[in-house]
Amino acid sequence: MDANKKLILGGIDIGSSMAKVVIMEDDGKGGEKILAKGFERLRRREPAEVATQLYDLLLTQAGLQRDDVDYLATTGEGECVPFRTGHFYGMTTHARGAHFLDAEARAALDIGALHTRAVIFDEKAKVLTYKMTSQCASGSGQFLENISRYLGVTLEEIGPLSLEADDPESCSSICAVLAETDVINMVSRGISIPNILGGIHQSMAGRYIKLLNAAKASGVVMVTGGLASDVGMCSAIAAMSDEAKNPLEIRRHEDSVLAGAIGAALWGGFRVRKLAEKGLSLQAGS
Amino acid sequence: MSTDLQTLLQEAEELAFDIDSSYVKAWKEKTGGLAIGYLPIYVPRELLHAQGCLPVGVLGAGDNLEIIRGDAYYQSYICHLPRSVIELGLTGRLDCMDGMLFPAICDVIRNLSGMWKMMAPEKLSRYLDVPQNFDPETGGLFYRHELEELSADLVKLGARPLTDEALRASIEVYNRHRVAVQSLYRLRQDEPWKVPSSELYLILRAGVILPVEEHLEMMASYEAAVRADTTRKPMDQARVLLTGSFCEQPPLGLIKTLERSGCYIVDDDLIQVHRWILSSIPTEGDPLDNLVQAFLSDTIDSPTRYIDDGVKGAELVQRVKDSRAEGLLFCAPSFCDPALLDQPMAVTAVEKAGIPWTSFLFSENTGQFQVIREQAGTFADSIKLWS
Repeated sequence: MDANKKLILGGIDIGSSMAKVVIMEDDGKGGEKILAKGFERLRRREPAEVATQLYDLLLTQAGLQRDDVDYLATTGEGECVPFRTGHFYGMTTHARGAHFLDAEARAALDIGALHTRAVIFDEKAKVLTYKMTSQCASGSGQFLENISRYLGVTLEEIGPLSLEADDPESCSSICAVLAETDVINMVSRGISIPNILGGIHQSMAGRYIKLLNAAKASGVVMVTGGLASDVGMCSAIAAMSDEAKNPLEIRRHEDSVLAGAIGAALWGGFRVRKLAEKGLSLQAGS
Repeated sequence: MSTDLQTLLQEAEELAFDIDSSYVKAWKEKTGGLAIGYLPIYVPRELLHAQGCLPVGVLGAGDNLEIIRGDAYYQSYICHLPRSVIELGLTGRLDCMDGMLFPAICDVIRNLSGMWKMMAPEKLSRYLDVPQNFDPETGGLFYRHELEELSADLVKLGARPLTDEALRASIEVYNRHRVAVQSLYRLRQDEPWKVPSSELYLILRAGVILPVEEHLEMMASYEAAVRADTTRKPMDQARVLLTGSFCEQPPLGLIKTLERSGCYIVDDDLIQVHRWILSSIPTEGDPLDNLVQAFLSDTIDSPTRYIDDGVKGAELVQRVKDSRAEGLLFCAPSFCDPALLDQPMAVTAVEKAGIPWTSFLFSENTGQFQVIREQAGTFADSIKLWS
């Protein structure tokens, strides 16, 4: 294969609540760009079906067909997509995705529905170390989703409402069950929704900063995963970091939520070229 | 025997995890023959076959049986296999076995053989001692004597006496079986996407229950079906060798997890009885001597077998090369002395050879694979991206 050959790459990241898909182009000269992108909430549907429909839709949008794709990489729970070329683990892909979105980033804070991971990587996006939250749900997007239901607000409203908080009410940062009880008490005490959400964001942000410190993060940290779209959450993490002994530069990108899918696609391209060096090839989408 | 792949795999799975010994009971009713259970890793099945017995592998209950009484027999730092074998015995699930053989694997299995003698005094319960001295005049004579005693015990149970002619015929059929197993392993090495290890495992595990002739048919049907299946396409996975699981067997879910996390298992230690003897055993001359000689000089380098310090791990490195594996997974049962005591020496050998490796532990009833999935997944990533 010509080392400068243009590659079409697919990335599918299936999380516990969303499927995220990107179609990318690697021009072979160090240039990589997104051709089409999207995400879809699973809403108790078959994850592979949701991801496949979205993938086909995005291919059509990009004027491509499955056979045009040189490597379709999955991540997260994407092993369920049967026509994938290969699968990469979440840490690996979020590191690469964060690095693509911000070349200065040396850590990714991947906040998903069930887990949060702090991933430290080098200038090539090679993972050096990571730390992950324990199984407790209070540090996850699922917890926030539950709270939004109690408060009668949509997920999209959470971030902007939280930014309106003028006196965030503190709540338990240890246990999701206790935190949910806290929230019910806050509602009955007449605490405003912005202050409830602001307090919850602060509580979660505190856990994330501890996680980043435990992983020995430094410099620029890119927030990725589903909760990266929550501006209130990112703002709370940045504010919490500014107050810490060793401040980190917390950044987010409009495509942060797609970081896993982007990283998967890009590693796929890396593999195509690496396999070609060995005289091997794999065709995606078959 | 079905030729449809899905039906075949379903049949294999039912046999592999038939903890109620339904197949064995039906076989006995049909043939009137004796069923002889055996623990991992190796027993000379040719001899049992030649005397008209059905050798039945007793590989534990896996994650299909709650251990209630079995735990009372063993300390907490002992592996899981003997607990589930005890549980199977105490719940009557192995009552159809006319005898049980406990090959020399470790002290735990030796103790299990003693417990079995007390639990089932009316049944044949035999600790099958094997030589660690491989000189034909020493270990050979000893092992031949063991086999002759075993053969005599079987006759006392009602089996037919051993004849050279019958043993030659049994050796011949097991030789064909070895060739068939090797063929499946080679196919998996060459095209691992065609032979998922989770399927191969079921097929091989069914082979410790079925009579050898029927298992030959099953393997032939499986191989033909997967070779003809054009829907199985290659994926970009890391080629790994799985080692350490030669006695207590991992749950099927663990093997599936490893494959789903991005690994192609291209060689392993699973159901090792089928591959213990490496090549065909000669049928001319004294067949019992041939069986003994094969054990002395033509077997897998197992941790249960004495190997000089200088070459410990060398065979593992060679297997990595032969199978074109890119990495090694040390996947041993918790508290498995033979596997875990050998592991440091094996690690020294593989590191010297520059082979990437990682290790984790399991029990036959492990139900949560998330941590192993993460570990295997990141290991596969590191091989694919950075090796």
